[in-house]
Order: sequence, then C-alpha cells, then structure tokens
Amino acid sequence: MKTESTVKYVLRLALTLLAITAVVAACLAYVNGITKPRIDAAKAAKTQLAIETVLPGGGEEVQDFTDETGMVSKVYGSDTGYAVEVTPSGFNGTITMMVGVSKDGKVLGISMISQTETAGLGAVSAAKTAAGETFRGQYKGQSGTLAVSKDGGTIDALTGATITSRAVTTGVNAALSCVAGMD
Amino acid sequence: MDFKRQFKEGLLTKNPVTVQLLGMCSTLAITTSLFNGLGMGLSVTIILICSNVLISALRKVIPNQIRIAAYIVIIAGFVTIVDLCLQAFLPALSENLGVFIPLIVVNCIILGRAEAFASKNTVLASAVDGLCQGIGYTVALVIMCVIRELLGSGTFGGGILNGGEGIRIIPAQYPAMQMVMPVGGFLTLGAVIAGSQWLMKHLEKKEAAKK
Repeated sequence: MKTESTVKYVLRLALTLLAITAVVAACLAYVNGITKPRIDAAKAAKTQLAIETVLPGGGEEVQDFTDETGMVSKVYGSDTGYAVEVTPSGFNGTITMMVGVSKDGKVLGISMISQTETAGLGAVSAAKTAAGETFRGQYKGQSGTLAVSKDGGTIDALTGATITSRAVTTGVNAALSCVAGMD
Repeated sequence: MDFKRQFKEGLLTKNPVTVQLLGMCSTLAITTSLFNGLGMGLSVTIILICSNVLISALRKVIPNQIRIAAYIVIIAGFVTIVDLCLQAFLPALSENLGVFIPLIVVNCIILGRAEAFASKNTVLASAVDGLCQGIGYTVALVIMCVIRELLGSGTFGGGILNGGEGIRIIPAQYPAMQMVMPVGGFLTLGAVIAGSQWLMKHLEKKEAAKK
C-alpha cells in the first residue's frame, strides 16, 4: 500500500508542475503571436533607417561578400556604395552598427543599431546629441585602416570610453576591409 | 488586511531595496536615468502583482515540495510576457534595460514575496502586497536615478523630458562621470539606505513622543 501512495504522490507532483508549465507555455505562445510581428517590424524599420542614414537612397542586400574579421553580418549595396552591418565587441557586449562605405573605399557615415555601452559614456557613441554626432562624424570620409588617437590614429575617443571608441573603430575597419575585398 | 501598514512597510520599513536589500544587481546597474528607473520599477511592480495573485490563488494546489519550481515557472512566464510587450510597444525602454528585464526572473524580490507572503495569504492581500512592494521598489529606484543622473550626467529626466536628453542642470563639463558607473551605484545605494534609516528613526521618535 505504501508503494502505491508513493507512486500517486510522485505523480501528483509531476502532473501539477506539468500542468502549470503547460498553461504558462500556452500563454507565452499567445503573447508571442501578438508581439512578434511588431517586434520584427520594428527591427526591420530600424535596420532600414540605419541603411538610409549611411547610404543615401538605401540598397539591396548583397549575398556575395568575403569577411575575414568575422564581424560582418550583412552587406547592402547600391550604385554609390555599400552599407555594411558589423558587430564589434564593445565594453558591455556586442555593438551592432551600420557603416556606409563608398565604392572608392571611403566611409560615408556610421549609424548605431543596438549597443549596451555605459550610459553617459560609451552610449554617447549612439546618442542623438551633439557629442554623439561629432564622434560619429569623425569617421566620415576616412579610408584605409583607422585607429583612435591613443593608438596613434586620427579618431578622438569619447571621454571615458576608449574601449567603446576602439570597438567602433574596429567595426569601421572591418567594414572597410570587407568593401575593399569587393570587386 | 491592513492596507496602510502594508503600504508603509513596502515604502519604508520593509522596503525591498533599502531594508530587505533584494534585487541589488539590477538596482545598481540600471539606475542611471529617470526613464530607466520608472520603466524598471513599473515592470517589476506589474510582474510582482501578477505573480503574487496567481501564486496566492494556487497556494493550496501547489504541493509544498515543488513550490519553488512552480513559482519560478510562473514568474518566468510573466517576465517573458512583459519582456515581449516592452520589445513590441516600448522598444526604446527595452533597449535601455537590456538584459535586466529577462533577469527579473531571478530577482529575489519577486520570489521573496511569493515565498514570504503570497504563499500564505489571500489573493487580495497578496495583490496589495505586490503593489506596495512594487511602489517601494520604484520609489527607491527613482530616488537613486535622480541622484546618479544629476551628479553623473548633470541632467534630470533623461530618456523622457526634453526629447530624451533630459533637462541640463549642471553644465556638461562638470558632472562626475563615476556616478553613473558601478562605483557611483554603490555610493548612492549606501547614501539612500542611510537616509531611509534616518527617516525611520526620526518617525519612530516622533511616534514615541506622541505617546
């Protein structure tokens, strides 16, 4: 008799947990169904805006590119140049940004898509403030291999955010070398 | 049920941040602008009320031996729902709070209230407890945000007012950047805890003087 009650008891535990988990899973599936289209649309709109910021007129996705840095995730191209989505490692995690590069290998502009840098320091790199614009503006028209001034380059790092500035610069370099490999 | 007492406990004498010291990780990490503090506070409050209500309603159904597992599943469910809704309807906030929204699952405030209160009290009392503790959490976060934002970035209302830049109070070259870094979080937290302790002592004395 004792074994039977133990079996029943264990079953009751398992079934209760199973029921709770199943109900929660069903609710999540429902919410996901509602929110997914909006989340996807917001993401797509953000990427599209970033492309148009760095490559006037936008561009079509290019499948055929070579990436030696492992940072290039997508490339969009048009008659004037390319918009390259790169993902360098920042201070707190991966930075996703769009770099516009002209056909002759000059930076047209950069635009941040997502980043988790420190608020007030590294996050300035993505801010729509004067400081953010100045920082991003430095890359415009540059070519070759860039570096922050601390490393002997021409890019002035953001105050207190050398690592973020280096990461952005690394991303731009990855985009430049990717476009340089295009024909 | 004593709403007034629960409210006072949540806000001051049993405040989740300054007295219970629960959920410190997100508290220290996100309190850098008013928008973040309000967003995080409200998210936690909503999740806290929902999970408290459901756990209280199921308190006689959930066997004691698997209660923690059941609570975590319920809490994770609500957190994911809030996370998805934020991503869909408030993408800016979702981006700022980043990984800390999913991390509410392991925020001790929620599980702590489920275990200490909701599993032993009625649905209504648990809902009130969730609301009061949530308000206490939000108020503590907002105070920390205002202090850190003012001293660290020199602004007030970052993320909401003045097109997201906040109202500049201290000129841009003077603020102490360290205040928005982790070290500033610890300093501010210590100061806020000291302040709330002083306030509690002060109120106690007043009460004693009345008698």
